[in-house]
Amino acid sequence: MGLVDKVELPQPIKFVFNWGRRYSLWVFNFGLACCAIEFIATSMARHDFIRLGVIPFAHGPRQADLLVVSGTLTDKMAPALKRLYDEMPEPKYVISFGSCSNCGGPYWDSYSVTKGVDQIIPVDVYVPGCPPRPEALLHGILELQKRIGSESLKQRYIDADSRPEPIVVDA
Amino acid sequence: MDAAALTDHLVAELGDAVTPVIEHDLLTATVAPGDWRRVAELLRTDPNLGFDYFEFLSGVDEEAEGLGVVLHLYSTGRRHHLQLRTIVPREGGVIPTVSDLWLGANWHERETAELFGITFEGHPHLVKLLLPNEFEGHPLRKEFALLSREAKPWPGAKEPE
Repeated sequence: MGLVDKVELPQPIKFVFNWGRRYSLWVFNFGLACCAIEFIATSMARHDFIRLGVIPFAHGPRQADLLVVSGTLTDKMAPALKRLYDEMPEPKYVISFGSCSNCGGPYWDSYSVTKGVDQIIPVDVYVPGCPPRPEALLHGILELQKRIGSESLKQRYIDADSRPEPIVVDA
Repeated sequence: MDAAALTDHLVAELGDAVTPVIEHDLLTATVAPGDWRRVAELLRTDPNLGFDYFEFLSGVDEEAEGLGVVLHLYSTGRRHHLQLRTIVPREGGVIPTVSDLWLGANWHERETAELFGITFEGHPHLVKLLLPNEFEGHPLRKEFALLSREAKPWPGAKEPE
């Protein structure tokens, strides 16, 4: 990877570096249910998360920095999600959007629904709601960007499996 | 044909093999599993009935009575509707396929087979449709245990706080 995984960047360079990363988040929408509609609403003119530097509709997981799981993940779909996540290049972030992807939501006792995507992939931000409003997703994105802004890439690359405690957006 | 005329026609053709009930202008014809295929062929081929449109096929857990199979049919030419029902035993329930009469029944029978554990004899490809291949059990049967509910009672009965 070069220098960033060997030395801690000096604070001003780190600031500029992370500033660039936090405002060019190519996002991949793993839309599985009605939450995907709220995600799309967030990307459209009224809420418009492009103004926050979130660039929607990455052409594939290999071009994406941020994965938003929006909707009900079933056990049958779970291997596809895991594979998609594994295809994304580091550094990568995951937002779990909506009750279904957080914990199974209304399908908490179902025979076919995975009770939370965090059983499959690590999650950085949980956005609760059924479905959450676009503002909630914007809030989640802002919280994630705050975290990216103060992140040490060296730490991240050295210990790729460790993640800080996930952020839970207040309802 | 309206439901009453349909009933008369079916009873004339099939006699005691069929038990007709009319509810909400819909004729429900109950037959024995052994007559399922014969009745389905009649419904498909009899020009007076002309059930050419397959609506859906599904199962019902009737608990002690067994497992119900429900077939909804419609005639686009004659504009009448019919529900055909039968009951098979809970264990080893077998019923002939109707997927060659109505191609649309193919996936519905696969779904009913995996969710209720009913075998459709003569179906060309009776493998799981929706469930993962390694899934065990038939989740739409009432005795199917939902693991989450074993651990925690359904919270929906409580008023939200």
